[in-house]
Amino acid sequence: MGRQQGWFALILALTIASGALLANYGLQLGLDLRGGSQLTLQVMPAGAITRVDTEQLEAVKDVLERRINGLGVAESTLQAVGSDQLVLQLPGEQDPSQAARVLGSTALLEFRAQKPGTEEEMRGLLALKRQAESVLRAKRPPSPSDDPTSPPPPETPSLSPQDLSKALSSLGIQVPAGSTEVDQIELLLRETNRRILGLYGPPLITGKDLTSAGRQQQATGTGWEVTLGFNREGGEKFASLTQSIAGTGRVLGIVLDGRSISEASVGEQFKVAGITGGSASITGNFSAEEARDLEVQLRGGSLPLPVKIVEVRTVGPSLGAENIRSSLVAGLSGLVLVAVFMAVVYRLPGIVAVVALSLYALFNLAIYALIPVTLTLPGIAGFILSVGIAVDANVLIFERIKEELRGGNTLIRSIDMGFSLAFSSIFDGHATGLISCAALFFLGTGLVKGFAVTLAIGLLLSLFTALTCTRTLLRLLMSYPALRRPTYFLPARQLPPAKSGAAQAGLA
Amino acid sequence: MTPAPTPRFRISRHRRLAWLGSALACGLSLLGLALCWLNPAIHAPLRPGLDFTGGTQVQVERDCAPCTAITAAEIRQGLSGLNLPSSEGDRAPNLGSASVQVLDSGRSLLLRLPALEAEQSSALVDDLASKFGPLLKSGTSVNTIGPTLGSRLLRGSLISLLVSFVGISVYISFSYSGIFAVLALLCLAHDVLITCGLFAWLGLLQGIEVDSLFAVSLITIAGYSVNDTVVVYDRIREQRRTLGDLSLVDQVDVAVDATLTRSLYTSFTTLLPLVALIFFGGSTLFWFAVALTVGIAVGSWSSIGVAPTLLPVLSKR
Repeated sequence: MGRQQGWFALILALTIASGALLANYGLQLGLDLRGGSQLTLQVMPAGAITRVDTEQLEAVKDVLERRINGLGVAESTLQAVGSDQLVLQLPGEQDPSQAARVLGSTALLEFRAQKPGTEEEMRGLLALKRQAESVLRAKRPPSPSDDPTSPPPPETPSLSPQDLSKALSSLGIQVPAGSTEVDQIELLLRETNRRILGLYGPPLITGKDLTSAGRQQQATGTGWEVTLGFNREGGEKFASLTQSIAGTGRVLGIVLDGRSISEASVGEQFKVAGITGGSASITGNFSAEEARDLEVQLRGGSLPLPVKIVEVRTVGPSLGAENIRSSLVAGLSGLVLVAVFMAVVYRLPGIVAVVALSLYALFNLAIYALIPVTLTLPGIAGFILSVGIAVDANVLIFERIKEELRGGNTLIRSIDMGFSLAFSSIFDGHATGLISCAALFFLGTGLVKGFAVTLAIGLLLSLFTALTCTRTLLRLLMSYPALRRPTYFLPARQLPPAKSGAAQAGLA
Repeated sequence: MTPAPTPRFRISRHRRLAWLGSALACGLSLLGLALCWLNPAIHAPLRPGLDFTGGTQVQVERDCAPCTAITAAEIRQGLSGLNLPSSEGDRAPNLGSASVQVLDSGRSLLLRLPALEAEQSSALVDDLASKFGPLLKSGTSVNTIGPTLGSRLLRGSLISLLVSFVGISVYISFSYSGIFAVLALLCLAHDVLITCGLFAWLGLLQGIEVDSLFAVSLITIAGYSVNDTVVVYDRIREQRRTLGDLSLVDQVDVAVDATLTRSLYTSFTTLLPLVALIFFGGSTLFWFAVALTVGIAVGSWSSIGVAPTLLPVLSKR
């Protein structure tokens, strides 16, 4: 009897501990249940690197983490998945487009000087570029994220169809049949950019030479500019670079990810020492949003390898809330029915099993809070399956007890036999389940992993509750003679007639 | 212990019927999968959803009560004039190939499009809001999945499933015998095949697509199927020890009879929460619950009617 009480004390202690754990930590819900955005980023091999290894993945992750911190989204998590993917979760974020913009680009910043003797060509290209850009900006519907208070461009720029086709043919661009005007202007922009890049010398200063980045409203005009602070070496290089082109009419090109975003000429007065002071600003006619994106990217540094966003999932909080509420209601009502069924079919042990299974559910949730396990829909599926198997363990035991009772065994002996005979089948079922869990966990992808984790926890706990909780509680109850009646286990007509009379003389 | 091995229910008497039923169901399933494959619009054994094909799915909820009627054609018309922002080097995808569904009598709109970038999809939602709005901000869901991710997901699930099958067979071979392992896997294939077959037919007739949750449900069914079968095996193994002089057919009959109540009760209790999910659960879980319900019902059937009855047949050879 002492052993039973020891077990009972342990179960009681675990129950209290689980309750306390749940009250203090609570459960972590996955994005599919609480709403938010999830982005999957694929790190692409580039240049000499043909395979992404963990070290490079970590390097990319570091840069992305700095950028995410710059965005200031609460509770975001960035995890490496497999050898070349990163998953970013932004709980509660409904519009992941900014995060996608900021994370998706390499942000390789370069300062380049224009090659001598190309002044004429550059002037033409820049004029064409400005014209195309302003036409394109006017053609696009303003996105709602743009500052609505900013006034529209003073004059509506236009590029007549004749001018456009002339410009296109002067650059030798074949216009694909059926392309719209916007398509053609974009083609034009791409080609001018390509040619402008060709007129630049090699990169002399890169993002590595920066120590800080900021943004401010332009002194003139409506746009924003991004301010940069160089380290000592970068400041010196910037001074000598600006000195070399000061007063020549050649431009200093600021190139971001292979796109010339700003072309600045340097005035005569810097001929002697160049621009000193270790700071510069990029006036690329940015919107407030673009300036902020660039600032965050430059602060985080450029990515060692390019990344591509391969998956974006967004779940609205109301969809998530509806999911969790209706699924909870459904799951609980199903479990209540299971409890009623167990109590009706198995009588006293059925009620014991309901108590044991309630503890089982509580222990499960406590472990989810402890590890912690993030609950997702597949995770709930794993939990449902483990509940099914846990109920099965109890059913197996009780069916065995009934069999023994029908065979004429005494009550206490039948209970002991029931547990020991059912053990091998319970163990085999749980063992095969755990084998699948291991395979699914180590080889499966995110969704499947979540399923495997909750199922494995459920299986391990089910072994414990079926063999320990149910048994201890049942034995404890059997220490009260009033409860020691076979009819509390199965209907009287199923008991063998001769023995039921002899053994149950006290029965009314 | 069990003095009277006279089963009330002899499964071997009905085994031809059981085999016929299972063969018929498997045949129908294979036919469904084949028809799906031959269907030019699907060209896969099951109609693959967004998770496997890649693309963008946008769901928005309109903030209106009652909602004005709206047709898919109107929405397509509204979208055709939209110019999406495109990043350098890429052309914005053509929205003309979008498939549009109007749900809940005009309250929600479901759009399937080629894969969009985050900026493009938010431009699309803004455009929908201006044309068919106002929209409930909290009811919007945008999913974009790259085409490579779907195949990766599928490959990962398949590999992990195969490895877990191997692990289970090794375990069963050691604690029972090789024939038991073969039969357990056969049973498992039977359960998974019939569930897939049902969804192939649903895909053909109702346009139901399978998603990654479906893959999870197949794995769940496989786990359940093995657990269910192992319990019957355990009983057969026990009968061999105590009733070694009986023929294998009789041993199987005794074992199935002894575990019949348990098999039915267990399936019933597992099905209860699932059926509750079908009727009261959210729409996201509906087809998931259907797949699990069917799979578990079939799994319970095969562990009673298929695996044990084939055991004497295979053991003879």
